[in-house]
Amino acid sequence: MQEQSEHEQEVAELIVESLNLEDISATDIEPEEPLFGDGLGLDSIDALELALAITQKYSVQLTADDANIQGVFGSLRSLSAYISEKTA
Amino acid sequence: MPIVQRSHPITTREPDEIIAHGSSGAIRVDQFLAHAVALSKQLPDRQYVINLAADRYTFLLGFCAAVIADQCTLMPPNRQQQTLQQVANEYADCYSFGGPGLNNVESLDTCDVDAPDVIDVVVPEIPADRLCAIVFTSGSTGTPTPNRKYWETLRTGSLSNVDLLTEKTVGSMNVLATVPPQHMWGFETSILLPLFSNVAVSHLMPFFPQDISDALESLPEPRALISSPVHLDAFLSANTGRIRIDRIFSATAPMSPELAKKLEGRFDARVVEVFGSSESGIIAKRNTATETLWQLATAFELDVGEDGVRIRAAHLPERVVLQDIIEIVGDHQFRWLGRHQDMVNIAGKRGSLTDLNHRLNAIPGVIDGVIFMPDENSKRLAALVVAPDLEPSDILEKLKPGIEPAFLPRPVYKVAILPRQETGKLARKIVVQLFEETKRNKALEDAGPADNST
Repeated sequence: MQEQSEHEQEVAELIVESLNLEDISATDIEPEEPLFGDGLGLDSIDALELALAITQKYSVQLTADDANIQGVFGSLRSLSAYISEKTA
Repeated sequence: MPIVQRSHPITTREPDEIIAHGSSGAIRVDQFLAHAVALSKQLPDRQYVINLAADRYTFLLGFCAAVIADQCTLMPPNRQQQTLQQVANEYADCYSFGGPGLNNVESLDTCDVDAPDVIDVVVPEIPADRLCAIVFTSGSTGTPTPNRKYWETLRTGSLSNVDLLTEKTVGSMNVLATVPPQHMWGFETSILLPLFSNVAVSHLMPFFPQDISDALESLPEPRALISSPVHLDAFLSANTGRIRIDRIFSATAPMSPELAKKLEGRFDARVVEVFGSSESGIIAKRNTATETLWQLATAFELDVGEDGVRIRAAHLPERVVLQDIIEIVGDHQFRWLGRHQDMVNIAGKRGSLTDLNHRLNAIPGVIDGVIFMPDENSKRLAALVVAPDLEPSDILEKLKPGIEPAFLPRPVYKVAILPRQETGKLARKIVVQLFEETKRNKALEDAGPADNST
């Protein structure tokens, strides 16, 4: 498995915590695996919850215009890159 | 004796009224009709169409063109490839419209059709008995069940909705919906209402709170938002700022009076909660912030039968049995008491707990198990499982293939034994207690010393 960067680790913890993924530990999330669909199996309810958690923690409002949603939520790596970019 | 074929116009709107806000501005009824009629002549010669358009105006156009051409629009319960393929296989004489292609299914892209210059069209008349749509409900198994919608059902149902949901004094209303047009709630409100009342619908279907806010800003006042409690809760919590929304319509799951009050406070809105089903369409409404009783639309009657409360209406092809427990309180009023214990509703999908539990207990290695809703406010199901040789992730993997993803339990906890009574019954209260206890223990364990971690 690829190693998570420090920021990715932080976002991974936010994902596990905000979505109650009790069977998964933050360090188990593969940085480049899909979060939705076949990967972690997240759905639209999760996407809303996660967007809210991100807004609360990083003061970032996600929008679909910035990039396509699938791109942003595609993987842990793309999501944490998106957050870094918006908070930079 | 001659057979009188009744028919009615596809829209009751005036030609110069605005029916939609498209990607390049407001669209008048006459422009829309000309476009729909032109499109209806270019559709593949098939009986059915799967309308996958995510752009709401494109969906409206594709739907109306199909109705004019006597083609039935199929509305699958979700957009998963497997579900779409299943529907396409069953209704083989079909093509897809406005969305990604399906295997061995002809597809039509809207880009292929030019908007006509001539807009002087005669409003098409649609026979009352024309089959216009099949709306599928998924159930917990994900196997779609068809509900047939004839023009008479859609038209009369829509007139009832106009009566129930729009106030004639308000004038025009500019509507944004976060729910897909392929779901009955979104279909009735964002596709059919604009054909029968002074409503102009936005072509957008925003998902993130900031996008919802921006899309609303782009609409003229008065504005209405059509959504669900989960989405509205996220929208409110995201604090995207104050914006005036005259009406907020919510359906698909019960809304708490607290949420309704907060929404009304933040957006100067009136929150109208709507009650209905894919089988019956919208039947009732209430102002959730101030009312507990539901007002039944005049087109419907309720009566109590052996199998539960039944809905009758002249425009419904058959009686519909409610999946809910209600108390009829007075003339066209009722109180909602809850769902039948077996039924759960997640993300607008209905499922049977009995069926889910049957599937869980059929997994090799599962000695005993129960799937349940931990409390009324839960967004997810949970499971307690006796399975010494399996991990929760194995159990989820085994459950996945047969069921709708929204019904996958989260969390899944392993327990030593389920506290069944001698009769084999599991009391809900005891299950919830055991669940809470296991959850607390697990939290303590996770917070425990690092040398215990695996």
